[in-house]
Amino acid sequence: MSIISKVVTWARMKSPWIIHFNTGACNACDIEIIAALTPRYDIERFGVVLKGTPRHADVLVCSGPVTRQIESRLKRIYEQMAEPKFVIAVGTCACSGGVFNGCYNIMGGIDKVIPVSMYIPGCPASPKAIMDGAVKLLASLEEKEK
Amino acid sequence: MKAEESIKLDLMKKFAIAEDKIRVTRARRLFVELAHADFEKVFVYAKDTLKFGHLVSITGFDEADKLAFMYHMAHDNGVVLNLRFSVSKESPVIHSMTKYFPGADIYERELVDLFGAKVEGLAEGNRYPLTDEWPRNEHPLLKDWKPADKKERAA
Amino acid sequence: MHESHKFKIPIGPQHPALKEPESFSVALKGEKILGVEIRLGYNHRGIEKACEERTYIQDIYLAERICGICSHSHSSCFIQCVEELAGLEVPKRGLFIRTLIGELERVHSHFLWLGVAGHEVGFDTLLMYTWRDRELVMDLLAGLTGNRVNYGMNTIGGVRRDVTKEQLRKIKETVDVLEERTMYYIKIATSEPTLINRLSGVGVLSREDTLSLDAVGPTARASGVSRDVRRDDPYAAYAELNFYVITDDHCDVYGRTIVRVKELLESFKIIREIVAKIPEGPIAVKAPRRIPAGEALSRYEAPRGEDMHYVKSNGSDKPERVKVRAPTLANVQAVKHMLKDRYLADLPIVIAAIDPCFSCTDRMVRLDRMDKGQSDVINWKQLHDYSLGWHREHGVDFSSLNERLKKAL
Repeated sequence: MSIISKVVTWARMKSPWIIHFNTGACNACDIEIIAALTPRYDIERFGVVLKGTPRHADVLVCSGPVTRQIESRLKRIYEQMAEPKFVIAVGTCACSGGVFNGCYNIMGGIDKVIPVSMYIPGCPASPKAIMDGAVKLLASLEEKEK
Repeated sequence: MKAEESIKLDLMKKFAIAEDKIRVTRARRLFVELAHADFEKVFVYAKDTLKFGHLVSITGFDEADKLAFMYHMAHDNGVVLNLRFSVSKESPVIHSMTKYFPGADIYERELVDLFGAKVEGLAEGNRYPLTDEWPRNEHPLLKDWKPADKKERAA
Repeated sequence: MHESHKFKIPIGPQHPALKEPESFSVALKGEKILGVEIRLGYNHRGIEKACEERTYIQDIYLAERICGICSHSHSSCFIQCVEELAGLEVPKRGLFIRTLIGELERVHSHFLWLGVAGHEVGFDTLLMYTWRDRELVMDLLAGLTGNRVNYGMNTIGGVRRDVTKEQLRKIKETVDVLEERTMYYIKIATSEPTLINRLSGVGVLSREDTLSLDAVGPTARASGVSRDVRRDDPYAAYAELNFYVITDDHCDVYGRTIVRVKELLESFKIIREIVAKIPEGPIAVKAPRRIPAGEALSRYEAPRGEDMHYVKSNGSDKPERVKVRAPTLANVQAVKHMLKDRYLADLPIVIAAIDPCFSCTDRMVRLDRMDKGQSDVINWKQLHDYSLGWHREHGVDFSSLNERLKKAL
């Protein structure tokens, strides 16, 4: 499985600590993010660790279309992270607002509020897609470092 | 539909409601149109005497120059009794039913935020579901309220 | 907001986080909760308004995404209104398939809940086990519908995909495996003292309070209130299926755990009956684009409890009004009551036990320490860690149980 070997390489170089934040999503993507951490997909064996606080995180994994109520909190979490920091938008809502695009209480996607490094579409995004996206993000950073 | 028909006749007789104001749309569903002045006593009768002991929710409606409110009450046997009345938009004052159903609290707050209802007797508390920054005179579920306006104003 | 105005809570530059809306405001005296204010609405997206601006078919896709765990529940509940307004009679096979997906959804949701509850008390092995088993259900759902979540199975007038004999056989096989695993969870739930002690006497809601505060779902059933829309106000194929409504008399989080594991067994029973009895025939009838004027109210027993949708039609292809009342909203008053006079350390599991349809992983909690006249704001993870630490100090520790069970995983 080439995805797995890429993740192993990546994890050896860098163990990203991630923080997961739901900006008003229906929870489907959030469950798939957490499912990526459980036995079948088990991203933790690759050193990807779910952290509770922004100050220790390298990667902010966001779901949801960003409701007005949560917007300032999202900004604040991003501000509290130290550089270098990356944002992954998980799910079609996080990418563009998804089916909720045009709804009155929606900003319309993560990049309307903070800069996004990687977009992982899907409704919801599957655990495999999430892992694939995370790997691609870190591979691109590997490239930059060269 | 014997149970539903007998509830209909009972309400008609007890509260002098016209027959065309009570519809049995199918098994286990009654829809009743009331005058605002009659609402509370019918509501209490439905709860205490007819044993519609579960308030499922309260739905608000924008009806041009009026606001209407429908209270969905369920019985253990599955029958849902829907009581509706309307008030003028100029003076959309209704009374809180939290003294009978504490759970009505969150449904009434929704009517305040989304329709501009004024609920007398509703305790102090957080608004729901809109943010504190959302202007108090903007009610998104009114038919003439447009999301595009809101986005421009926020920008 | 809180009854005691005796103490001033300083709000100022030293607490910049206080400007953000906290999901929970807890008035504390020492370690005990005087009262809780719950602020919902952070995931208010404006769906009801959007429904009026879209067609009924488009609204099915919105309804599915109200909650990603109860996705089929919301879509079915909505569609039941529309089918009634259009005077459609869904063919039996279509109803059986709709019910099958609904019960598979209940199974995945209850496994998910068991894992989350385990996590909230520090029993993380339970999370690993149950979410591993849940994957079997996700595989079935993906095979039947094409997606792990948000199945897109419903259409107005029936369902969109048929099931094959082979799929039905696979369902039955999987249910046999899941039932065996569930028996194991029941054994743990009823014989592991650490778990029983941790969950008992927590989040207490008497039968009387359940009725007066009008709770729904497993929360209500765990207080001896026998309320289940599948039996009381039957929809889909439930009038033709045999199942028990599970109740329990513990009136606490332990009771809510017992109700859910036993409901899993009932769901397996229902699924087997569907597989055995599903009639041949069409899976849908054609639906009109314009829905005749009228109004309909539909109820559905989602995994979390009673879901309600109300639709008013006006003869066009777009609804006049759509109202949704998801189950979690109905339990808000009950939860506030459950937390009075209880320890702060119990807040996470009590909230988790109503199985809220919102992600708790990042909710902010404000603690108003009434005896000290100060306020702190912490996030859910910090509250979770505090809770585990507090219980460990009071003799509840899942480390040895986790160790023991990890070997068997």
